[in-house]
Amino acid sequence: MNNKLQAKDLINIGIFTAIYFVVFFATGMVGYIPVMMLVMPFLCPFMAGIPLMLFLTKVHKFGMITIMGLVLSILMILLGHPWVGLPFGILFPLLADLILKSGQYTDWQKIKTASMVFSLWIIGQFVPFFFMRDSYFATLRAGYGDVYADTLMAITPLWVFFVIIAFAALGGLAGALLGKSVLKKHFQRAGIA
Amino acid sequence: MDLHSFGVTKKSKFWLDPRTKITMLLIVNIVLMGGGYSGLSAFLRPTLALLPLGLLIIESKLKAALYYLIFVSLAMSCEIFLVSQTAGLINLLLVIASGLLSRFVPPLVMGYYVVSTTKISEFVAAMEGMHLPRQIIIPFSVMLRFFPTVAEENSAISDAMRMRGIRLGGKNASTVIEYRIVPMLMCTVKIGEELSAAALTRGLGKPTRRTNVCRVGLGLIDWILIIFSLTLLLLWIFLG
Repeated sequence: MNNKLQAKDLINIGIFTAIYFVVFFATGMVGYIPVMMLVMPFLCPFMAGIPLMLFLTKVHKFGMITIMGLVLSILMILLGHPWVGLPFGILFPLLADLILKSGQYTDWQKIKTASMVFSLWIIGQFVPFFFMRDSYFATLRAGYGDVYADTLMAITPLWVFFVIIAFAALGGLAGALLGKSVLKKHFQRAGIA
Repeated sequence: MDLHSFGVTKKSKFWLDPRTKITMLLIVNIVLMGGGYSGLSAFLRPTLALLPLGLLIIESKLKAALYYLIFVSLAMSCEIFLVSQTAGLINLLLVIASGLLSRFVPPLVMGYYVVSTTKISEFVAAMEGMHLPRQIIIPFSVMLRFFPTVAEENSAISDAMRMRGIRLGGKNASTVIEYRIVPMLMCTVKIGEELSAAALTRGLGKPTRRTNVCRVGLGLIDWILIIFSLTLLLLWIFLG
Protein backbone atom coordinates (compact mmCIF):
# COMPACT_ATOMS: atom_id res chain seq x y z
CA MET A 1 0.00 0.00 0.00
CA ASN A 2 1.27 3.43 -0.92
CA ASN A 3 1.50 5.50 2.23
CA LYS A 4 2.30 8.86 0.68
CA LEU A 5 -0.59 11.29 0.41
CA GLN A 6 -1.84 11.54 -3.17
CA ALA A 7 -3.52 14.54 -4.76
CA LYS A 8 -6.86 12.74 -4.42
CA ASP A 9 -6.37 12.45 -0.67
CA LEU A 10 -5.49 16.13 -0.42
CA ILE A 11 -8.63 17.09 -2.36
CA ASN A 12 -10.69 14.87 -0.07
CA ILE A 13 -9.24 16.66 2.95
CA GLY A 14 -10.25 20.00 1.44
CA ILE A 15 -13.79 18.88 0.70
CA PHE A 16 -14.46 17.41 4.09
CA THR A 17 -12.81 20.27 5.92
CA ALA A 18 -15.20 22.61 4.10
CA ILE A 19 -18.25 20.53 5.06
CA TYR A 20 -16.98 20.10 8.61
CA PHE A 21 -16.41 23.82 8.95
CA VAL A 22 -19.84 24.76 7.57
CA VAL A 23 -21.63 22.38 9.94
CA PHE A 24 -19.41 23.53 12.78
CA PHE A 25 -19.94 27.21 12.03
CA ALA A 26 -23.69 26.91 11.53
CA THR A 27 -23.97 25.11 14.88
CA GLY A 28 -21.63 27.67 16.42
CA MET A 29 -24.17 30.39 15.66
CA VAL A 30 -26.02 29.35 18.81
CA GLY A 31 -22.97 30.65 20.68
CA TYR A 32 -24.24 34.16 20.12
CA ILE A 33 -26.91 33.51 22.71
CA PRO A 34 -24.82 34.14 25.82
CA VAL A 35 -25.98 31.17 27.90
CA MET A 36 -25.45 28.81 24.98
CA MET A 37 -21.80 29.82 24.81
CA LEU A 38 -21.03 27.08 27.31
CA VAL A 39 -23.01 24.45 25.42
CA MET A 40 -21.27 25.29 22.16
CA PRO A 41 -18.14 23.18 22.81
CA PHE A 42 -20.46 20.20 23.17
CA LEU A 43 -22.93 20.96 20.40
CA CYS A 44 -20.41 21.78 17.65
CA PRO A 45 -18.36 18.56 17.74
CA PHE A 46 -21.63 16.65 18.19
CA MET A 47 -23.18 17.92 14.96
CA ALA A 48 -19.88 17.90 13.10
CA GLY A 49 -19.52 14.24 14.05
CA ILE A 50 -21.53 13.24 10.98
CA PRO A 51 -19.13 14.72 8.40
CA LEU A 52 -16.16 13.67 10.52
CA MET A 53 -17.24 10.03 10.58
CA LEU A 54 -17.86 10.10 6.84
CA PHE A 55 -14.39 11.59 6.37
CA LEU A 56 -12.83 8.88 8.51
CA THR A 57 -14.19 6.21 6.17
CA LYS A 58 -11.98 7.78 3.47
CA VAL A 59 -8.91 8.09 5.67
CA HIS A 60 -6.40 5.28 5.40
CA LYS A 61 -3.14 7.19 5.56
CA PHE A 62 -1.26 8.95 8.29
CA GLY A 63 -1.38 12.75 8.22
CA MET A 64 -4.84 13.40 6.79
CA ILE A 65 -6.45 14.28 10.12
CA THR A 66 -3.45 16.42 11.08
CA ILE A 67 -3.68 18.39 7.85
CA MET A 68 -7.42 18.84 8.40
CA GLY A 69 -6.76 20.32 11.82
CA LEU A 70 -4.03 22.54 10.44
CA VAL A 71 -6.18 23.85 7.58
CA LEU A 72 -9.09 24.46 9.98
CA SER A 73 -6.82 26.42 12.32
CA ILE A 74 -5.38 28.55 9.50
CA LEU A 75 -8.91 29.36 8.39
CA MET A 76 -9.89 30.30 11.94
CA ILE A 77 -6.91 32.66 12.18
CA LEU A 78 -7.72 34.23 8.81
CA LEU A 79 -11.23 34.88 10.08
CA GLY A 80 -9.70 36.74 13.01
CA HIS A 81 -9.92 34.17 15.78
CA PRO A 82 -7.17 34.00 18.42
CA TRP A 83 -3.80 32.83 17.10
CA VAL A 84 -3.41 30.59 20.17
CA GLY A 85 -5.81 28.21 18.45
CA LEU A 86 -3.11 27.07 16.02
CA PRO A 87 -0.93 24.95 18.36
CA PHE A 88 -4.08 23.27 19.70
CA GLY A 89 -5.35 22.76 16.16
CA ILE A 90 -2.16 20.87 15.30
CA LEU A 91 -1.54 18.98 18.54
CA PHE A 92 -4.95 17.36 19.09
CA PRO A 93 -5.56 16.30 15.47
CA LEU A 94 -2.02 14.85 15.43
CA LEU A 95 -2.81 12.82 18.54
CA ALA A 96 -6.08 11.70 16.95
CA ASP A 97 -4.11 10.68 13.87
CA LEU A 98 -1.70 8.60 15.97
CA ILE A 99 -4.59 6.91 17.75
CA LEU A 100 -6.27 6.08 14.45
CA LYS A 101 -3.01 4.75 13.02
CA SER A 102 -2.60 2.41 15.96
CA GLY A 103 -6.03 0.99 15.10
CA GLN A 104 -5.28 0.72 11.36
CA TYR A 105 -8.00 3.34 10.77
CA THR A 106 -10.75 0.72 11.17
CA ASP A 107 -10.88 -0.12 14.88
CA TRP A 108 -14.18 1.34 16.12
CA GLN A 109 -12.96 1.85 19.71
CA LYS A 110 -9.94 3.76 18.43
CA ILE A 111 -12.15 5.82 16.10
CA LYS A 112 -14.33 6.85 19.05
CA THR A 113 -11.27 7.93 21.05
CA ALA A 114 -9.81 9.75 18.08
CA SER A 115 -13.05 11.66 17.55
CA MET A 116 -12.95 12.73 21.21
CA VAL A 117 -9.34 13.87 20.96
CA PHE A 118 -9.85 15.61 17.63
CA SER A 119 -12.77 17.61 19.02
CA LEU A 120 -10.47 19.15 21.61
CA TRP A 121 -9.02 21.46 18.95
CA ILE A 122 -11.89 23.81 19.77
CA ILE A 123 -10.56 24.56 23.26
CA GLY A 124 -7.76 26.59 21.71
CA GLN A 125 -10.42 29.15 20.83
CA PHE A 126 -11.32 29.49 24.49
CA VAL A 127 -7.82 29.81 25.89
CA PRO A 128 -7.65 33.63 25.66
CA PHE A 129 -10.80 33.89 27.77
CA PHE A 130 -9.09 32.14 30.62
CA PHE A 131 -5.31 32.25 30.41
CA MET A 132 -4.31 35.32 28.45
CA ARG A 133 -5.80 37.29 31.29
CA ASP A 134 -2.64 36.72 33.29
CA SER A 135 -1.08 39.74 31.64
CA TYR A 136 -4.32 41.59 32.18
CA PHE A 137 -4.43 40.74 35.86
CA ALA A 138 -0.79 41.67 36.26
CA THR A 139 -1.65 45.14 34.99
CA LEU A 140 -4.63 45.32 37.35
CA ARG A 141 -2.51 44.25 40.29
CA ALA A 142 -0.02 47.01 39.60
CA GLY A 143 -2.79 49.58 39.31
CA TYR A 144 -5.39 48.63 41.92
CA GLY A 145 -3.66 46.41 44.45
CA ASP A 146 -3.81 42.72 45.30
CA VAL A 147 -7.22 42.60 46.96
CA TYR A 148 -8.98 43.89 43.90
CA ALA A 149 -7.19 41.59 41.47
CA ASP A 150 -7.73 38.54 43.68
CA THR A 151 -11.43 39.24 44.00
CA LEU A 152 -11.82 39.54 40.29
CA MET A 153 -9.90 36.32 39.75
CA ALA A 154 -12.13 34.56 42.25
CA ILE A 155 -15.37 35.55 40.50
CA THR A 156 -14.21 34.34 37.10
CA PRO A 157 -13.40 30.76 37.89
CA LEU A 158 -10.91 28.62 36.06
CA TRP A 159 -12.96 25.44 36.48
CA VAL A 160 -15.23 26.58 33.69
CA PHE A 161 -12.32 25.93 31.38
CA PHE A 162 -12.18 22.28 32.44
CA VAL A 163 -15.92 22.00 31.99
CA ILE A 164 -15.36 23.20 28.43
CA ILE A 165 -12.70 20.55 27.87
CA ALA A 166 -15.03 17.88 29.21
CA PHE A 167 -17.87 19.17 27.05
CA ALA A 168 -15.71 19.12 23.94
CA ALA A 169 -14.59 15.54 24.61
CA LEU A 170 -18.15 14.41 25.30
CA GLY A 171 -19.29 16.17 22.16
CA GLY A 172 -16.67 14.30 20.18
CA LEU A 173 -17.82 10.99 21.63
CA ALA A 174 -21.51 11.69 21.06
CA GLY A 175 -20.70 12.96 17.59
CA ALA A 176 -18.91 9.71 16.78
CA LEU A 177 -21.93 7.69 17.88
CA LEU A 178 -24.32 9.95 15.96
CA GLY A 179 -22.12 9.84 12.90
CA LYS A 180 -21.87 6.07 13.04
CA SER A 181 -25.63 5.60 13.26
CA VAL A 182 -26.22 8.05 10.40
CA LEU A 183 -23.58 6.30 8.31
CA LYS A 184 -25.25 2.96 8.93
CA LYS A 185 -28.72 4.26 8.19
CA HIS A 186 -27.97 6.28 5.07
CA PHE A 187 -24.53 6.23 3.59
CA GLN A 188 -23.65 2.55 3.65
CA ARG A 189 -26.93 1.73 1.95
CA ALA A 190 -26.21 4.37 -0.68
CA GLY A 191 -22.72 2.97 -1.15
CA ILE A 192 -20.95 6.19 -0.24
CA ALA A 193 -19.28 5.18 3.00
CA MET B 1 -20.85 34.27 7.59
CA ASP B 2 -21.08 35.20 3.97
CA LEU B 3 -19.82 32.09 2.29
CA HIS B 4 -19.26 33.87 -0.99
CA SER B 5 -17.09 36.49 0.59
CA PHE B 6 -13.84 34.87 -0.51
CA GLY B 7 -13.21 35.56 -4.17
CA VAL B 8 -14.72 38.94 -4.88
CA THR B 9 -14.07 39.83 -8.49
CA LYS B 10 -13.81 43.59 -8.30
CA LYS B 11 -10.28 44.88 -8.26
CA SER B 12 -9.60 47.36 -5.48
CA LYS B 13 -7.61 50.49 -6.25
CA PHE B 14 -5.65 49.97 -3.07
CA TRP B 15 -4.18 46.56 -3.70
CA LEU B 16 -2.16 44.78 -1.06
CA ASP B 17 -0.25 41.56 -1.35
CA PRO B 18 -2.00 38.76 0.58
CA ARG B 19 1.24 38.21 2.50
CA THR B 20 1.09 41.79 3.78
CA LYS B 21 -2.50 41.26 4.87
CA ILE B 22 -1.64 38.04 6.67
CA THR B 23 1.33 39.66 8.43
CA MET B 24 -0.83 42.52 9.62
CA LEU B 25 -3.61 40.16 10.65
CA LEU B 26 -1.23 38.07 12.76
CA ILE B 27 0.34 41.10 14.42
CA VAL B 28 -3.01 42.70 15.24
CA ASN B 29 -4.12 39.33 16.57
CA ILE B 30 -1.06 38.79 18.77
CA VAL B 31 -0.75 42.31 20.19
CA LEU B 32 -4.42 42.98 20.85
CA MET B 33 -5.09 39.53 22.32
CA GLY B 34 -2.05 39.98 24.55
CA GLY B 35 -3.72 42.85 26.31
CA GLY B 36 -2.45 45.23 28.94
CA TYR B 37 -2.11 49.00 29.09
CA SER B 38 1.06 49.36 31.10
CA GLY B 39 3.85 51.56 29.81
CA LEU B 40 4.13 51.83 26.07
CA SER B 41 1.22 49.43 25.44
CA ALA B 42 -1.21 52.20 26.27
CA PHE B 43 -0.03 53.80 23.06
CA LEU B 44 0.79 50.74 20.95
CA ARG B 45 -2.49 48.86 21.20
CA PRO B 46 -4.77 51.75 20.17
CA THR B 47 -2.36 52.50 17.31
CA LEU B 48 -2.59 48.96 16.05
CA ALA B 49 -6.34 49.00 16.47
CA LEU B 50 -6.38 51.93 14.05
CA LEU B 51 -4.94 49.70 11.33
CA PRO B 52 -8.19 47.81 10.55
CA LEU B 53 -10.03 51.14 10.72
CA GLY B 54 -7.79 52.71 8.09
CA LEU B 55 -8.15 49.67 5.85
CA LEU B 56 -11.94 49.72 6.15
CA ILE B 57 -12.00 53.41 5.22
CA ILE B 58 -9.73 52.84 2.23
CA GLU B 59 -12.03 50.06 1.07
CA SER B 60 -14.85 52.65 1.47
CA LYS B 61 -16.72 50.44 3.92
CA LEU B 62 -17.63 53.58 5.83
CA LYS B 63 -20.54 52.22 7.83
CA ALA B 64 -18.50 49.30 9.13
CA ALA B 65 -15.64 51.70 9.87
CA LEU B 66 -17.91 53.96 11.90
CA TYR B 67 -19.30 51.08 13.98
CA TYR B 68 -15.79 49.77 14.50
CA LEU B 69 -14.53 53.16 15.62
CA ILE B 70 -17.38 53.61 18.10
CA PHE B 71 -17.18 50.11 19.58
CA VAL B 72 -13.44 49.86 19.93
CA SER B 73 -12.79 53.40 21.15
CA LEU B 74 -15.60 53.03 23.70
CA ALA B 75 -14.23 49.71 24.87
CA MET B 76 -10.66 50.95 25.07
CA SER B 77 -11.46 54.17 26.86
CA CYS B 78 -13.65 52.18 29.24
CA GLU B 79 -10.74 49.91 29.97
CA ILE B 80 -8.27 52.74 30.45
CA PHE B 81 -10.37 55.31 32.33
CA LEU B 82 -13.61 53.88 33.68
CA VAL B 83 -12.42 50.60 35.15
CA SER B 84 -10.40 52.38 37.82
CA GLN B 85 -13.32 54.65 38.73
CA THR B 86 -15.98 52.03 39.42
CA ALA B 87 -16.37 49.17 41.84
CA GLY B 88 -18.46 46.08 42.48
CA LEU B 89 -20.79 44.56 39.91
CA ILE B 90 -20.63 47.47 37.46
CA ASN B 91 -16.88 47.20 37.49
CA LEU B 92 -17.00 43.47 36.79
CA LEU B 93 -19.40 43.97 33.88
CA LEU B 94 -17.24 46.75 32.49
CA VAL B 95 -14.07 44.72 32.78
CA ILE B 96 -15.57 41.73 31.00
CA ALA B 97 -17.42 43.65 28.29
CA SER B 98 -14.72 46.15 27.42
CA GLY B 99 -11.97 43.55 27.76
CA LEU B 100 -13.69 41.21 25.34
CA LEU B 101 -14.58 43.93 22.85
CA SER B 102 -11.18 45.56 22.74
CA ARG B 103 -9.47 42.19 22.42
CA PHE B 104 -11.64 40.30 19.97
CA VAL B 105 -13.17 42.91 17.70
CA PRO B 106 -10.01 44.30 16.01
CA PRO B 107 -8.74 40.85 14.93
CA LEU B 108 -12.21 39.87 13.72
CA VAL B 109 -12.52 43.06 11.67
CA MET B 110 -9.04 42.52 10.31
CA GLY B 111 -10.06 38.99 9.35
CA TYR B 112 -13.15 40.34 7.64
CA TYR B 113 -10.96 42.73 5.66
CA VAL B 114 -8.56 39.98 4.59
CA VAL B 115 -11.30 37.56 3.57
CA SER B 116 -13.42 40.11 1.72
CA THR B 117 -10.59 41.68 -0.30
CA THR B 118 -8.53 38.66 -1.32
CA LYS B 119 -9.27 36.46 -4.31
CA ILE B 120 -8.76 32.75 -3.81
CA SER B 121 -6.21 32.49 -6.60
CA GLU B 122 -4.27 35.45 -5.20
CA PHE B 123 -4.27 33.67 -1.92
CA VAL B 124 -2.99 30.45 -3.44
CA ALA B 125 -0.28 32.37 -5.33
CA ALA B 126 0.81 34.03 -2.11
CA MET B 127 0.90 30.70 -0.27
CA GLU B 128 3.08 29.28 -3.05
CA GLY B 129 5.25 32.38 -2.69
CA MET B 130 5.65 31.56 0.99
CA HIS B 131 6.87 28.07 -0.03
CA LEU B 132 4.19 26.27 1.93
CA PRO B 133 4.05 22.55 1.07
CA ARG B 134 1.38 21.43 -1.39
CA GLN B 135 -0.05 19.21 1.34
CA ILE B 136 -1.40 22.42 2.82
CA ILE B 137 -2.04 24.47 -0.31
CA ILE B 138 -4.19 21.90 -2.12
CA PRO B 139 -6.60 21.12 0.75
CA PHE B 140 -6.83 24.81 1.58
CA SER B 141 -7.68 25.96 -1.92
CA VAL B 142 -10.12 23.08 -2.42
CA MET B 143 -11.80 24.04 0.83
CA LEU B 144 -12.18 27.68 -0.19
CA ARG B 145 -13.44 26.64 -3.62
CA PHE B 146 -15.96 24.38 -1.91
CA PHE B 147 -17.67 26.81 0.45
CA PRO B 148 -19.93 28.36 -2.22
CA THR B 149 -20.88 24.85 -3.40
CA VAL B 150 -21.87 23.77 0.08
CA ALA B 151 -23.87 26.96 0.58
CA GLU B 152 -25.65 26.48 -2.75
CA GLU B 153 -26.59 22.88 -2.05
CA ASN B 154 -27.67 23.84 1.42
CA SER B 155 -30.08 26.50 0.22
CA ALA B 156 -31.53 24.13 -2.40
CA ILE B 157 -32.09 21.44 0.23
CA SER B 158 -33.50 24.02 2.57
CA ASP B 159 -36.09 24.99 -0.06
CA ALA B 160 -37.03 21.38 -0.70
CA MET B 161 -37.41 20.65 3.00
CA ARG B 162 -39.48 23.76 3.59
CA MET B 163 -41.90 22.46 1.01
CA ARG B 164 -42.29 19.32 3.09
CA GLY B 165 -42.73 21.35 6.27
CA ILE B 166 -39.43 20.29 7.75
CA ARG B 167 -37.97 23.36 9.39
CA LEU B 168 -37.11 24.70 12.81
CA GLY B 169 -40.32 25.57 14.58
CA GLY B 170 -42.40 23.52 12.16
CA LYS B 171 -44.25 20.37 13.09
CA ASN B 172 -41.33 18.17 12.07
CA ALA B 173 -38.59 20.06 13.89
CA SER B 174 -36.94 16.92 15.27
CA THR B 175 -36.13 15.62 11.82
CA VAL B 176 -34.49 18.87 10.72
CA ILE B 177 -30.93 17.80 11.42
CA GLU B 178 -31.11 14.43 9.74
CA TYR B 179 -33.08 15.64 6.73
CA ARG B 180 -30.75 18.54 6.06
CA ILE B 181 -27.27 17.28 6.85
CA VAL B 182 -27.63 13.87 5.21
CA PRO B 183 -28.75 15.11 1.75
CA MET B 184 -26.15 17.86 1.92
CA LEU B 185 -23.41 15.33 2.57
CA MET B 186 -24.70 13.09 -0.23
CA CYS B 187 -24.60 15.97 -2.73
CA THR B 188 -21.29 17.42 -1.68
CA VAL B 189 -19.52 14.06 -1.59
CA LYS B 190 -20.68 13.33 -5.14
CA ILE B 191 -19.68 16.81 -6.31
CA GLY B 192 -16.38 16.39 -4.53
CA GLU B 193 -15.64 13.18 -6.38
CA GLU B 194 -16.31 14.90 -9.68
CA LEU B 195 -14.22 17.91 -8.70
CA SER B 196 -11.42 15.60 -7.70
CA ALA B 197 -11.51 13.82 -11.06
CA ALA B 198 -11.60 17.13 -12.93
CA ALA B 199 -8.68 18.55 -10.96
CA LEU B 200 -6.60 15.43 -11.54
CA THR B 201 -7.29 15.61 -15.27
CA ARG B 202 -5.93 19.12 -15.23
CA GLY B 203 -2.73 17.94 -13.66
CA LEU B 204 -3.18 18.82 -9.99
CA GLY B 205 -1.47 15.58 -9.05
CA LYS B 206 1.66 16.51 -10.93
CA PRO B 207 4.58 17.00 -8.53
CA THR B 208 6.05 19.98 -10.40
CA ARG B 209 5.51 23.63 -9.61
CA ARG B 210 2.35 25.09 -11.14
CA THR B 211 1.99 28.52 -12.68
CA ASN B 212 -0.61 31.01 -11.57
CA VAL B 213 -2.28 33.78 -13.58
CA CYS B 214 -2.42 36.04 -10.55
CA ARG B 215 0.47 38.44 -10.18
CA VAL B 216 1.38 38.89 -6.55
CA GLY B 217 4.31 40.91 -5.36
CA LEU B 218 5.31 43.17 -2.54
CA GLY B 219 5.14 46.84 -3.49
CA LEU B 220 6.19 49.97 -1.65
CA ILE B 221 2.95 50.25 0.36
CA ASP B 222 3.29 46.59 1.33
CA TRP B 223 6.77 47.11 2.73
CA ILE B 224 5.73 50.27 4.57
CA LEU B 225 2.79 48.49 6.21
CA ILE B 226 4.84 45.40 7.06
CA ILE B 227 7.66 47.45 8.59
CA PHE B 228 5.18 49.65 10.45
CA SER B 229 3.34 46.74 12.04
CA LEU B 230 6.52 44.77 12.70
CA THR B 231 8.02 47.78 14.49
CA LEU B 232 4.93 48.02 16.67
CA LEU B 233 5.11 44.30 17.41
CA LEU B 234 8.79 44.47 18.38
CA LEU B 235 8.21 47.54 20.52
CA TRP B 236 5.33 45.77 22.23
CA ILE B 237 7.40 42.65 22.91
CA PHE B 238 10.49 44.41 24.24
CA LEU B 239 9.19 47.62 25.76
CA GLY B 240 5.42 47.17 26.23
